[in-house]
Amino acid sequence: MDNDNRRASRRTEVLSKHLFPHPLTTTALLSTSNCLSYSPPELSSSNPVSFDTSRMRALLDGHNLDDRDWLFGLIVQSPLFNRQERGGRVFVSVDYNHTMEQQREETMRRIGYLLDRGVFRGWLTGDGPQEELRKLALHEVVSMYDHSLAVKIGVHIFLWGGAVKFLGTKRHHDKWLRATENYELKGCFAMTELGHGSNVRGVETVTTYDSRTGEFVINTPCESAQKYWIGGAANHATHTIVFSQLYINGGNQGVHAFICPIRDSSGNVCPNVRIAECGHKIGLNGVDNGRIWFDNVRIPRENLLNSVADVSPRGEYLSSIKNVDQRFAAFLAPLTSGRVTIASSAVYISKIGLSIAIRYALTRRAFSMTPNGPEILLLDYPSHQRRLLPLLAKIYAMSFAAIELKMMYVNRTPESNKAIHIVSSAYKATFTWNNMRTLQECREACGGQGIKSENRIGPFKGEFDVHSTFEGDNNVLMQQISKALLGEFIVCQTKKKPFRGLGLEHMNNPAPVIPSQLTSSILMSREFQLDLFHLRERDLLRRFAAEVSQYQTQGESKESAFNLSYQVAEDLGRAFSERAILKTFIEIESKVPAGSLKDVLGLLRSLYALISVDEDAAFLRYGYLSTENAAAVRKEVPKLCTELRPHAFALVSSFGIPDAFLSPIAYDWVGSNAWSSAQH
Amino acid sequence: MASYTKPDDDQVLVEQKSSTRVIILNRTRQLNALSFYMVSRLLEIFLEDEGNPDIKLVIMKGNGRAFCAGGDVSAVVRDVKGGDWRLGAKFFENEFKLNYLMATYSKPQVSILNGIVMGGGAGASIHGRFRVATEKTVFAMPETELGLFPDVGSSYFLSRLPGFFGEYVGLIGARLDGAEMLTCGLATHFVPSSKLPLLEESLYKVENNDATAVSAIIDKYSEQPSLKEDSVYHSRMDAINRCFSRKTVEEILYYLEMEAMNNKADNWASATIQTLKKASPTSLKVFLKLIRKARLQGVGQCLVTDYRVVCHVLQGRYSKDFFEGCRAILIDKDRKPKWEPSRLELVSDSDVDGYFSKLDDEGWKDLELPERLNNLPPYVISKL
Repeated sequence: MDNDNRRASRRTEVLSKHLFPHPLTTTALLSTSNCLSYSPPELSSSNPVSFDTSRMRALLDGHNLDDRDWLFGLIVQSPLFNRQERGGRVFVSVDYNHTMEQQREETMRRIGYLLDRGVFRGWLTGDGPQEELRKLALHEVVSMYDHSLAVKIGVHIFLWGGAVKFLGTKRHHDKWLRATENYELKGCFAMTELGHGSNVRGVETVTTYDSRTGEFVINTPCESAQKYWIGGAANHATHTIVFSQLYINGGNQGVHAFICPIRDSSGNVCPNVRIAECGHKIGLNGVDNGRIWFDNVRIPRENLLNSVADVSPRGEYLSSIKNVDQRFAAFLAPLTSGRVTIASSAVYISKIGLSIAIRYALTRRAFSMTPNGPEILLLDYPSHQRRLLPLLAKIYAMSFAAIELKMMYVNRTPESNKAIHIVSSAYKATFTWNNMRTLQECREACGGQGIKSENRIGPFKGEFDVHSTFEGDNNVLMQQISKALLGEFIVCQTKKKPFRGLGLEHMNNPAPVIPSQLTSSILMSREFQLDLFHLRERDLLRRFAAEVSQYQTQGESKESAFNLSYQVAEDLGRAFSERAILKTFIEIESKVPAGSLKDVLGLLRSLYALISVDEDAAFLRYGYLSTENAAAVRKEVPKLCTELRPHAFALVSSFGIPDAFLSPIAYDWVGSNAWSSAQH
Repeated sequence: MASYTKPDDDQVLVEQKSSTRVIILNRTRQLNALSFYMVSRLLEIFLEDEGNPDIKLVIMKGNGRAFCAGGDVSAVVRDVKGGDWRLGAKFFENEFKLNYLMATYSKPQVSILNGIVMGGGAGASIHGRFRVATEKTVFAMPETELGLFPDVGSSYFLSRLPGFFGEYVGLIGARLDGAEMLTCGLATHFVPSSKLPLLEESLYKVENNDATAVSAIIDKYSEQPSLKEDSVYHSRMDAINRCFSRKTVEEILYYLEMEAMNNKADNWASATIQTLKKASPTSLKVFLKLIRKARLQGVGQCLVTDYRVVCHVLQGRYSKDFFEGCRAILIDKDRKPKWEPSRLELVSDSDVDGYFSKLDDEGWKDLELPERLNNLPPYVISKL
């Protein structure tokens, strides 16, 4: 009845407006405005900040907060980074209207500025964990500005410089490291070929030694041996590392790395080197990827990076590592740092996507529940919460795991190298896949606004897609994890010794027992969650071992048995990663003193654990959970989302990402889209 | 607050001219330095007027040759020396709440900066929508020479100045004139002081709180002043950006020294170095961290941070430079403060970090910002 009256009066109002039209003046518009206005989430009582966001940020960034803030400031305050004012705020991002060539020149100008301000100081000449952590933190900030800038710097310093540092010896260090840090030259890294990517051992480039002149001769024998995707090669690089088969007296000594100049200081391509462009890409167009052919290019003997193996002036091959496999593994060392930085930067990009999508969902409304009622905030829809909040929980979990990985990496020892290889492979694949999924969900959650390049999420999808391919194809990496775990398993079985390392100690205990009926409080308990993840991992490892061995008894080779068991291998790789991530989360949480911050971490950890269970069919497929229990897990997820909803604003604020690195729809999207904003 | 048993009502004069509230700071002998009474009274007025539909616009100005020379810190020091630093903190609590209110006010505030604008005076004006400078304006944030740090949420607006000018202004306590304020954005308008009476008369006629209309009125009296020949803004911006963008105060000094060496004919760099060396090393480091954090924060968070830092300063656990600075500059006037730690390299990063943590003192709480309405104008929303 009441409703009908209201409807009737509204109708009368509309009719009377038609009959007695008001002159359309500005003041009339303002005073009778029924327009939507932007309500800042900062002021809304439904977004209480119940914990100390600066302490949360310290947990999430883990290290070098002041260095990060400094670099954020260097970028935001410089006109080189395409500052745009929208709705009273400054945003920075690349200019999406620029051509590939313009983007490349801008990338170089930005590098020049960062170089001048001392950003790269110590990136190669510094030593020790503190220096490395500073470098990683600053590189993460750069990647949040622009992936091209980060990759261009990464190729020069981490790949070229890293190869010189890790594969070279004093003579190379003295000559190249400081010069690289100061950009007196520009290096690139020629490993991949048209015909060989992940299988580096199969590269076809050939290098021979000429003892008469004391020179190596590098040659591209066929089109499939052309170096491909070489970042920096198309326009700027003056030097490259070349990965090539080394033949001594007709015998192949395997893949080795050499330094080869490719341009002179004025930018002219060197004789006997041919370089071509890779063309426009779905992202990273600010990086000049090129292709290189070597036509019997001669380089001095000293240009072999000789920490692993050397060739004497007379042409004898000398190596302290006799085992060819180990020698090859040593040559791939520079790639580990690449996987660490990719894993970590994938997490930061997801944070940007989630910050934008969640802030937008806290200010954008759609549909009313009642005819004249207010429209509902996107994030107040349970379905919208279910889309974004589990991704938020995952990114919290992965942030902690990324820090753990970085700490392992910077404190590496010869003994820990294997573990770092496995964990960095697992996290690189897991975090980059998760990033692509997160970006797609965030893009959709922003609706049409997600399509605009200025809102960043859309372009990120193209920019960061390559994460799943470079420095190791994700699928290949995941298979390597399962292989390595199986190796551990076989050693422990045959030598009858307990598991140690990689978090596999739980394998030494009896199998955990899952309660037959899962209540909310059990589901939220970290012991239960870890038990369930342990159960999955131990069973999959045994299952994988059994399947491989069964194929072998059927006459398959070891390699073929692996290939045939790929399904369980995939499940196992995932089980390993997710268990490692959960374990790190629990360790972080346990160090936080009781209080509101710990409570919200507990919610996030539970949501991370339960969503991972809900999304992996292995729990049902192999019977780790009964169908009733799997249903109980699924029912708990929306409850946790509802509990996290009031914290969503504080949780994205805790990422510590400056507004300039987010986008207009994360803030006053009415103001930034106002007519007046379109007038300049 | 023993010293304020007899609040002097004359310290703040309040008038209403049709829909315009006119607030006049009137403590001329102290260059309108903000007393506890003044801060509390201003807070009261701003809170009351926000809900008063008859008030559309606020004009703030000062009697005498100053708009406002800062907070009355010597009174704060007296209070703290009396035994309880929390008494001193109360002053800052109210002052910062006032700053937040001004920064997020739903009605335009026009501050007429016809004279000295320093420290707390900047806090009481720059956060507002319109700042009118004149040929008599002298602006500075001189806190680092007092052993304090540029507070009142100034890290918010200083960090938004072009390039690294904010670092320069805050660390050095550089004096800016009206033309410089306009050019860098601290002032929104420049009106010759002779035209101020006419401007005010026009502003009294404002009928609604539409900022665009107010801006148009001020525009009518505005002039485009030219920067003086030797203005830093003009000739030193490159050098300022080169030096003041560095990560640490030590590096800033190093690059200033390089600048001085490469350019011996000019004494700007060496004079700047001298000024930096006179300031409290702790203050310099705390402020540098503050402004760098401020670039990532809204104005409310900046003020919450300022309050944490100022409470640490008053509590004096890490350093007592503020009391020493007040002694040397305001009380004994020997202008020879003995800073402790005495040199930059003696101020550890962890001590600097300590200033930004919550205080471990019973009953202490973070600054609680006054609640804001939901229909704020876009220029306010962009500051949150």
